[in-house]
Amino acid sequence: MKPEYKQVKRMTTFMRINHWVVAICMVAAVITGLYIGHPYYQTYIADPAVDKYVMAWNRWIHFMVAIIFDVSSIVIAYLYFFSRFEKPYKKLIPTAANLKEFFEVILNLVTLNRRKKFDSTHSDSFNTVFFLVFHLMLVWMLLTGLQLYVHGLASGLSSIGNWWPWMLHLVTDWTVPVSGWLIGTTAPTASIMDVRVSHHLTMWLILVWVAFHIYYQVWRTIYWKEGDISIVVGGSKFVKDDKA
Amino acid sequence: MADRIEGVKKLFTSKSARVDTNRGDAHYERLFQICQTRIEALKTQTPQQNRLHIDDLLEDQGISRRDFMKWASAVTGMLMLPSSFTPLVADAALLMNRAPVIWIELSDCAGNTEAILRSDGPKIDEILLDIISLEFNETIMSASGHQAEKQLEDAMHTFKDKYLLFVEGAIPMGLDGQYGTIGAHAETFYDHLMRISKHAAAVVAVGSCATFGGVPAASPNPTQAVGVMDVLKGKPLINIPACPANPANMVGVIIHYILTGQIPELDSLLRPKFAFGYRIHDNCERRAHFDAGEFVEEWGDDGAKNNFCLYKVGCKGPMTFNNCSIIRYNEGVNWPIGVGRGCIGCSEPDFWDKYAYERPMADANIKAPTGGVEKTVDEFGLGLLTAAGIGIGIHAAASLAAGKKEESGEA
Ligand code: HEM
Ligand code: HEM
Ligand code: SF4
Ligand code: SF4
Repeated sequence: MKPEYKQVKRMTTFMRINHWVVAICMVAAVITGLYIGHPYYQTYIADPAVDKYVMAWNRWIHFMVAIIFDVSSIVIAYLYFFSRFEKPYKKLIPTAANLKEFFEVILNLVTLNRRKKFDSTHSDSFNTVFFLVFHLMLVWMLLTGLQLYVHGLASGLSSIGNWWPWMLHLVTDWTVPVSGWLIGTTAPTASIMDVRVSHHLTMWLILVWVAFHIYYQVWRTIYWKEGDISIVVGGSKFVKDDKA
Repeated sequence: MADRIEGVKKLFTSKSARVDTNRGDAHYERLFQICQTRIEALKTQTPQQNRLHIDDLLEDQGISRRDFMKWASAVTGMLMLPSSFTPLVADAALLMNRAPVIWIELSDCAGNTEAILRSDGPKIDEILLDIISLEFNETIMSASGHQAEKQLEDAMHTFKDKYLLFVEGAIPMGLDGQYGTIGAHAETFYDHLMRISKHAAAVVAVGSCATFGGVPAASPNPTQAVGVMDVLKGKPLINIPACPANPANMVGVIIHYILTGQIPELDSLLRPKFAFGYRIHDNCERRAHFDAGEFVEEWGDDGAKNNFCLYKVGCKGPMTFNNCSIIRYNEGVNWPIGVGRGCIGCSEPDFWDKYAYERPMADANIKAPTGGVEKTVDEFGLGLLTAAGIGIGIHAAASLAAGKKEESGEA
């Protein structure tokens, strides 16, 4: 007899929308960020003045995407504690059960699904830690990006009020020495160039993260045969009845 | 509550790059009073050794009183003071010879001294630096050897705790400082600096070498050169970086000191905010081309002929704080980007290694944190991504093989 499957809800509509907004924003940030770093296509010199603002548009998109990221990160941070589902912070506390689950999930991956000794109905602690890594990198992008940005507001004025550059200095100035330390500069004094290097490098770390993330979700879907990918599409996955 | 907010605000912003250009009438009225009293007091003092008179000098160079007042109002603006301060600034300029200056050179090329001396047809900034009471400067004084040392001793003694010490050049710290010694007693540059700065009212580091180590400190930095701020503690210190430091900014600092008796407001790198509070990029005449995405692709191409933005040939204006895009060099004649060459970030720390290359940061080789292989960030990132891709590929292939076995009942 075919095993009976049961549907478990894992993500609300809102969480799914948020996920795809993040995914699209990430692609947009990478495309425009790389252009800002090294303009890789040329403006046609003879173009009419009306569509001249190629760099300006790229920067505009990059910053808009960044603001959307800002908002989404705040929402996600909130969900870590108040989600209607498994509140992710519970999976981040290194309790014995969580640690065991964390290594069991890794074992499952390296034994190519031969060993699966954890409950895959709920979000597991490995994935939760992995997602936390992403959110930390995103926060770092936000802080370093905003540090690069605030120097354009050197006058201390901005269209939305003086509090904005003031706040940005307050929350991002420390990224200068930290970036210098992270990229291992030998000079005694760090500068914004270190922040820029760090911002660019972290983009690559995020891309590596995304590559593994997509692969792993597809891999789970194929090998676990529980329809994991539909979590992020329809909001639920399927598990054998005896488990759920 | 309000003053607590003010206190917290001060704590967190005092060192940031923020420039406050309008502090309100009450502040400026109080400052005006302070400056006025100070200037009156200075006027009664007799000048120090330098007896050149500024009026004669200006006349000799064919500079009219009107030109001088125009200059004074420009300096007032540069120092971010209201225009009512113009007469005070003019007075302060005339009293420049009341501020005794000792100027020492360490690991340097004398480029900052040259910047003041060699301008063809000296303009007001350069003339003013002629009339400061320069008590000691190896390059331009006639005394040498023991005589020079004697003169230094005299100056330090006479103006104890009153002189401004200008330092040009980095301090080599390797081999116990033996890479650079001065005088008959082979005093190391470090000891020299420490001895002379001890009784200085304030120390002014001029040029990129004295501020952040500059070229002598560039990788691999064999002499382990550092800037003044890395070794000198517990003294008021002003950094005027750039290669060379702009004479206008040196004059600005001295005038500010004469006017207020204090050092100007500094940013986190101890640079006066009036000069280093703004980015090159935000005041650059080519900025419209940057926003339009019109870049010089290689030297001498059509873009170069049309004054396009120099970002792709390595302009570091977006990361560089300096006022040369506003006041330019040689009394406003021109500046690097004006002549079609990108900014190399000469006023930023470690500029020789991190800023001075003719391509954007994304295309430049940077050192790995281990100090070893030099790669561009993109090469490094693509390497990481490839490694991840290979890992994923291997895992996928293994999973596929394992899956097949399972289906045929082998597992
Ligand atoms: C740039 C692209 C992407 C980024 C940055 C990203 C990021 C994330 C993050 C942070 C989460 C955790 C939940 C949350 O915080 O919203 C998540 C969950 C998930 N993502 Fe993505 N994602 C990307 C692309 C994709 C793609 C293309 C797929 C489909 C193959 C996918 C499938 C999933 C699934 C199935 C989950 C839920 C996993 C679970 O709850 O066990 N993601 N993603
Ligand atoms: C989330 C908030 C972010 C903010 C506020 C931000 C802001 C900025 C700013 C201001 C710059 C410099 C632009 C200039 O000099 O005019 C920049 C450059 C760049 N950004 Fe972002 N960014 C953010 C996120 C991201 C993300 C998520 C990525 C990619 C994963 C990214 C990739 C890049 C790249 C590659 C550059 C070029 C760096 C270079 O080569 O100099 N940024 N970003
Ligand atoms: S030339 Fe340099 S400073 Fe000027 S707009 Fe281009 S990048 Fe900015
Ligand atoms: S353009 Fe840049 S490198 Fe040139 S003098 Fe100005 S700050 Fe220095």
